[in-house]
Amino acid sequence: MARVPIIRVGDTLIATVLEDLHDRDALQLQEDIGAALERTDARGVLLDLTVVELIDSFLGRTLNDVAAGTRLLGAQAVIVGMQPAVAMTLVELGLELKGVRTALNAEKGMALLRRLIAGDETA
Amino acid sequence: MTQDRAPQATRSQANPQAATASTIEEQRRAIRELQTPVIQVWEGILALPIVGALDTARSQEMTETLLQRIVETGSDIVILDITAVPVIDTAVAKHLLETVAAARLLGAEVLIVGLTTRTAMTLVHLGVDLGGVTTRTTLAKGLELAFSRLGLEVTRRAGGALRTAGSEAAGASDRPRGLGGNASHDAARHGAERQDA
Repeated sequence: MARVPIIRVGDTLIATVLEDLHDRDALQLQEDIGAALERTDARGVLLDLTVVELIDSFLGRTLNDVAAGTRLLGAQAVIVGMQPAVAMTLVELGLELKGVRTALNAEKGMALLRRLIAGDETA
Repeated sequence: MTQDRAPQATRSQANPQAATASTIEEQRRAIRELQTPVIQVWEGILALPIVGALDTARSQEMTETLLQRIVETGSDIVILDITAVPVIDTAVAKHLLETVAAARLLGAEVLIVGLTTRTAMTLVHLGVDLGGVTTRTTLAKGLELAFSRLGLEVTRRAGGALRTAGSEAAGASDRPRGLGGNASHDAARHGAERQDA
């Protein structure tokens, strides 16, 4: 399984998922994001799920954990590009990812991330 | 071609029950499509007026259509109008909250409008928590909020309202509008407006 590449652009980390995530990939991603946040002084993480078509409760929970972990490490997380079917499945599973910020696509996600980071700085 | 068609006609005549069934199925499909009209009211703003009772199947279909439209139009805000939903109970509230949660996962904010005092009281009595969902009483107020979220502002142009009134009058008959013709009318309206203020 290919690892999810994490690219650093300025103070933001961009993780674009390239294929449907399996349990182990998801955990690896969680670890990689954590490690990258420790290593760099990134203030935000953009997680692109555009290609993800299948989701289960484990993956849903892991996404929640990634976002929560990111916040603990002093950065903001935004999940972008979720497919309608994935969103509906998550809601049916009762995983509404309440604490996770979301955006329709990478562009809107970056704009949101910029606002969140700016909010962090003023607070 | 004619030979192809002829047996079909006789078949449907011979089997009126089948014909009725297919008609009913067709009508059912038409009703299904009509009951989830997702309207783009502005760039970035969708409106979904819900008319009639909301059950599980319908709510699911509604959510599917809505999410599809959010992706197609790239909208940031959805206004869910429940003015015409006769009863809001725990089940309906749950459906609404699911729709809100699904839309939020795509990054869209959902405003629920059309709540009456009675609905609000019912929801409070039932202990339904609409917390986290922004609600307004009317579609107009919802739209106003949506505009402000997008950083848009609606202002009345100087004399704008008058021009609208004039163009409506002229629109009925296709005659070209003369400025002089509307002047007295405009003045009258202007006076009325000033009295109001």
